[in-house]
Amino acid sequence: MSRVSGHSIPVIAWRNLWRNRRRTLLTLSSITFGVFLSVMFTAMQDRNWSDMIDLAAKLGGGHVTISHLEYRETPSLKKSISDASPLAQAALRQTSVARVVQRISGPVMLNTASESYGASFIAYDPAQEDASTLSFLDSDALLAGRMFANDNEKGIILGYKLAENLNAELDNRIVYTMTDKNGDIVSGLARLIGTIKTGAPNLDARLSLLPLSTVREIVAYDSDEVTQLAVFIEDQRDSEAVAMLLDSVIGTQNLAVLPWNISQPDLAAFIALKLGGTRFMSAFIALLVTAGIFNTLFVSVMERMREFGILMAIGFTPLKLFSLVMMESLWLALVGLLGAALLTTGPYLYLASTGIDTSAILADQGSMDVAGVAMSTTLKVGIFPESLAVIAIAAIIATLLAGFYPAWRAGTVEPVDAIKLV
Amino acid sequence: MGETIIDLQNVTRVYQQGDVGVQALRGVSLQFESGEFCALCGPSGSGKTTLLNLIGALDIPTSGRVTLEGHDLSQLNRRQLSHLRRDRIGFVFQAYNLIPVLTAYENAELVLSVQGVGDTERREKVMSLLQAVGLDGKEDRFPRELSGGEQQRVAIARALASDPAVILADEPTANVDSDTAKLLLDLMQALNEQHAATFIFSTHDERVIERAKRIIRMVDGQIDNISFPGGGS
Ligand SMILES: Nc1ncnc2c1ncn2[C@@H]1O[C@H](COP(=O)(O)OP(=O)(O)OP(=O)(O)O)[C@@H](O)[C@H]1O
Ligand SMILES: [Mg+2]
Repeated sequence: MSRVSGHSIPVIAWRNLWRNRRRTLLTLSSITFGVFLSVMFTAMQDRNWSDMIDLAAKLGGGHVTISHLEYRETPSLKKSISDASPLAQAALRQTSVARVVQRISGPVMLNTASESYGASFIAYDPAQEDASTLSFLDSDALLAGRMFANDNEKGIILGYKLAENLNAELDNRIVYTMTDKNGDIVSGLARLIGTIKTGAPNLDARLSLLPLSTVREIVAYDSDEVTQLAVFIEDQRDSEAVAMLLDSVIGTQNLAVLPWNISQPDLAAFIALKLGGTRFMSAFIALLVTAGIFNTLFVSVMERMREFGILMAIGFTPLKLFSLVMMESLWLALVGLLGAALLTTGPYLYLASTGIDTSAILADQGSMDVAGVAMSTTLKVGIFPESLAVIAIAAIIATLLAGFYPAWRAGTVEPVDAIKLV
Repeated sequence: MGETIIDLQNVTRVYQQGDVGVQALRGVSLQFESGEFCALCGPSGSGKTTLLNLIGALDIPTSGRVTLEGHDLSQLNRRQLSHLRRDRIGFVFQAYNLIPVLTAYENAELVLSVQGVGDTERREKVMSLLQAVGLDGKEDRFPRELSGGEQQRVAIARALASDPAVILADEPTANVDSDTAKLLLDLMQALNEQHAATFIFSTHDERVIERAKRIIRMVDGQIDNISFPGGGS
């Protein structure tokens, strides 16, 4: 006859778990559902903020921005970087760095025959950049006209609102005026070749795009001079680490190497607030689940005091009884997590690939705009492996914590009194 | 008979009940020798259970000394007492002795596996004991699938499995009918003869009492009378 070698603690604990099937199933479903909710919330947040940060990087200066130390305080074209290419190459040698692009940006005054508006400009090299470094280069963003064909054409692209304000139509002439490297007022003449719609109101009303070489000439920059190097990395979460690394590798007294969360503090604060909310939510769920498990284990231990007394009488040590109950709670955690994995996988995969279109819900708002960053209306999820690990470990720890007091009660049973209970 | 394995010297046990102390044992001095088959009797409340708990290292005396195989029990900590119970003492209680989630076989095996006895030795021992108590064929039943008498037999097998020095049975036959009681007594007697273990059992049942080789009669927390039905010393 083959028998499972009887009563290792895990086997007894496992069987004990199923003595009150209904109660155990209820507890298991609360663990499963709690973990499911935590994972889904966290996955939504992880994905959402990650996308938002990537988008913010593509709207502005990359995940890490390299500029002249004083440029951030006073974005004047006097504060330039003169040796952009060697710096870019040095940055690209770092493994986590995906792309480095060169730009000139700053304030500009735009004039048409009838109107005049202050705005900001980004001058970029159309051969070097695409939608993954500058999000308005996406063909979806182009409302009318076209993008630049080469780096020295005499064209300008405007946010559609700005174009409206200027009364500018495609092919109209626009004069742009800025202060050059030497502090002199300089102007250029360009034709409006395209208008873009980003979804972010302050960009649509204030942004103009110019070709890099054209601007370089006008503002008296050298051939390798820019105001900004925008660094893009694979995983936005490495931004700070990469900024520190680059600072130590290529930093000089006059260079500022800043991660996005410092160069875009509004967005960083908003995301930190939201993440705090999710953590609070998860902690609250964990607390509810822990209370449920505690209740189950406590009731089941109190019902079995006589049995613990007998086990103690026949030679179980207090530690062994304690371990038995702790093992029961560990089983609850493991089975609950397994259930959570089964419950979560389907919806998660669907939301990760297809997502839910929320545009109907957000229709009256037109678009979602957070700290100047327009968000996609498709709700998608994507959880960082670390977040998943944290949730799983937290669930196990919560279960074990919940089991601690009941286990302690089992371990300190007084056999003489317990055995009298029938 | 054999040497003294249990020695009680002037043992008292007072239960504190609020402000009043209940004198459950009032100065009991007693010795047991190895291989004894001994009954504790006396009216309800006379202190039988209290005495068995003290001998079994489940409880500590208010004063006096209990020595088991030379170990002064008051000198041992909780863990050492657990190990002493595991290795040297077998318990059979009045009823519901068994762990409901374990089969008859697993219940009988329990102490051995806690002791860490190897697989083969364990199996041999448990199977032969279950056979000795007449339960072969029912090894895989859970306690709820066994009668009260059968459950008590499993408890006896479990108590004997670890070759303890002493088996303490507190009213082992109180919950079974008289035929079953007789069977259990036959069984205990046979096992007492085969194994060297001392059997001490408490009972109210006259027919059970008369099977003992020594009868200790208690009254009001004291030993009233000791008799040897089979004659002897
Ligand atoms: N935990 C306790 N607290 C207070 N008094 C107790 C406790 N346990 C036992 N007693 C008292 O101690 C005395 C002896 O009790 P004990 O259980 O040893 O008697 P017994 O001989 O086993 O009786 P029975 O034949 O009814 O089982 C009784 O007066 C009882 O009321
Ligand atoms: Mg009693």
